[in-house]
Amino acid sequence: MLDLMLLGISEIFQIHILIVIFLGVIAGILAGLIPGFTVTMAIVLTLPLTFGMEPVTGVATMIGVLVGGMSGGLITATLLGIPGTPSAVATTFDAFPMARKGKAGKALSIGIWASFLSSIISFFILISIAPQIANLALEFGPWEMFSLIVAALTIIASVTGESILKGLIGGVFGLLIATVGADPISGITRFTFDLDVLRAGIPFLVVLIGMFAISRLFDSVERTELDRDIKQKQEDKIQGIKFVLKPKETLISVIRKPVNLIRSSVIGAIIGAIPGAGGSIANLIAYDQAKKWSKESDKFGTGHEEGVVASEAGNNSTVGGDLIPTIALGIPGSAVTAVLLSALMVHGLNPGPLLITNEPNIVGGIFIAFLVASFFMLISQFLGIRYFVKVTEIQTHILFPLIMLLCVVGTFVLNNRITDIYLLFIIGIVGYLFTKYKIALAPIIIGVILGPIAEVNLRRAFMSDPEWTLFLTRPISVTFLILAVVSILFTIWQSRKSSSR
Amino acid sequence: MGEIVIGILLILLSALIYFNSGDFPQLNETHLDPGSYPKLLALLLFLLSLILVIKSSVNLLKSKTSLFDSGIKDFLKKQWKEYKLVVYSLVILGLYILLLNVLGFIISSIAFIIAAGLLIGPKKKKDLITISIVSFVVTFGVYFFFENVLYVRFPNGIFF
Repeated sequence: MLDLMLLGISEIFQIHILIVIFLGVIAGILAGLIPGFTVTMAIVLTLPLTFGMEPVTGVATMIGVLVGGMSGGLITATLLGIPGTPSAVATTFDAFPMARKGKAGKALSIGIWASFLSSIISFFILISIAPQIANLALEFGPWEMFSLIVAALTIIASVTGESILKGLIGGVFGLLIATVGADPISGITRFTFDLDVLRAGIPFLVVLIGMFAISRLFDSVERTELDRDIKQKQEDKIQGIKFVLKPKETLISVIRKPVNLIRSSVIGAIIGAIPGAGGSIANLIAYDQAKKWSKESDKFGTGHEEGVVASEAGNNSTVGGDLIPTIALGIPGSAVTAVLLSALMVHGLNPGPLLITNEPNIVGGIFIAFLVASFFMLISQFLGIRYFVKVTEIQTHILFPLIMLLCVVGTFVLNNRITDIYLLFIIGIVGYLFTKYKIALAPIIIGVILGPIAEVNLRRAFMSDPEWTLFLTRPISVTFLILAVVSILFTIWQSRKSSSR
Repeated sequence: MGEIVIGILLILLSALIYFNSGDFPQLNETHLDPGSYPKLLALLLFLLSLILVIKSSVNLLKSKTSLFDSGIKDFLKKQWKEYKLVVYSLVILGLYILLLNVLGFIISSIAFIIAAGLLIGPKKKKDLITISIVSFVVTFGVYFFFENVLYVRFPNGIFF
């Protein structure tokens, strides 16, 4: 454990890496606070920029974006009452009323401290749990790996989106996208239909940019979306709001109630570690629990400090939780960590249980980068918040073409292939249609990244022993499969219950 | 409605994958050849999409109110108003991608940013100037950053 940390410190504490983490944090904050621009989009678009960097530098940059982005939503949630990212929904409940009462500065600094402290708590949860899980996973054979992926995908499908059926469709669709191109074991090309575009397969990054950025952009130019955006910008002239941040006093008031902070952070970390459930869910659940346990629960929703602490601690600590399965098992829990894994793959590293043993400097680097990014987030939020606020005034008609351009460039940079951009166009349309009919995108993305791993492990299992019942007789494997079935049944039961009401 | 269409398309896709999975060359005596795993997935997708189609059809038949209550023409008009910009921006993006190889990165990107900006936003003279400045700065910024820092070669087009 300590070796990992020391390795990480020696990797990260170099001037150029610290600078890129800092830039990443600022980019993340900006992405988090612009409504309509999500953290996922930001991290997807950062990926192409990291191709030319060393693996540690690249991953550290993306961690910076992630940590910054989770705290960026706080600013718009407090000042405008609209969540800049989906993971700041509960933050609006109390932070916005506080701002309306003239305590905007207090709300912001409480939120910043809660974000920071919960990041630190989830950092300790991450470094103490991830290596243990990885050790456990070293015992996994191909049967366990395959069952684990099945379980992860079904859980993601049941947690995200409106119906489990659509979630599962998304997951299988993603797995199918991954089968295009060379077969991972014998190298035979499949499903190219004699099209040059498809010969090299459908690159993961293209699917990511197409599904998460392009489809979201099309969404933002629908008439109702556009009107709402313009209306919001006219209503709230944020530069009119004056606020004074009081870092010292608010720190004391946050720390004075440690139970709330720790409870919300632990909830966030646990939810973050569950595949599919991320900041948006943790934010709401942490808020809800804080309200349930609080002595002054009737004050929640009227501008109560505890509500701000709970919601911000809840969403920021998901980052640490999310990294647990990503590092320990190579299974991303969300679209964001899926991008992180693909960054590792681009650099030729193999995510999985062996990552900690084989690449301790990378893992240590990720841990320390997370810690450093949290500090940078704290500093830049307190010093720069006045300037960040200005960014929300950029209008859609300028943002839209610029982000579109970045998407196209990012896709091109991957392989220097124009044909990838044609694919991007098609996938963007498919992604847009899927979001219109509420087929969640996260299962698709996770399906694409886990597809090859699932296939390799399935075929390896049959190569070493053609007996298929091994999936059901090996205890760990069958546990995962039972988990998958239970998550499907539970979701169906839950939706039956809520619809009969 | 749309769900049924998507479901049917997915069923067609799964059939396409399934029937294209049979004729891969066999390299060695393994129990699963390159086609078996996609076949399995295709079957799964087929089943799930079938359930989706059936479910949405039942829902559609159950709900008495039709989308076209106020006349089909009115309905289309509303839809067009809502999605007009989506369609237009799709077309512009498509043109941009097609012209990238012909006109080169710089010219087509500048044109794309200006066109998309004017399409979505207000079309006054002041906005034209703003978006033009933005497009020049961003395009050249991106171009020089990627060419000099990341050594990416952008398509130059026929003019250079």
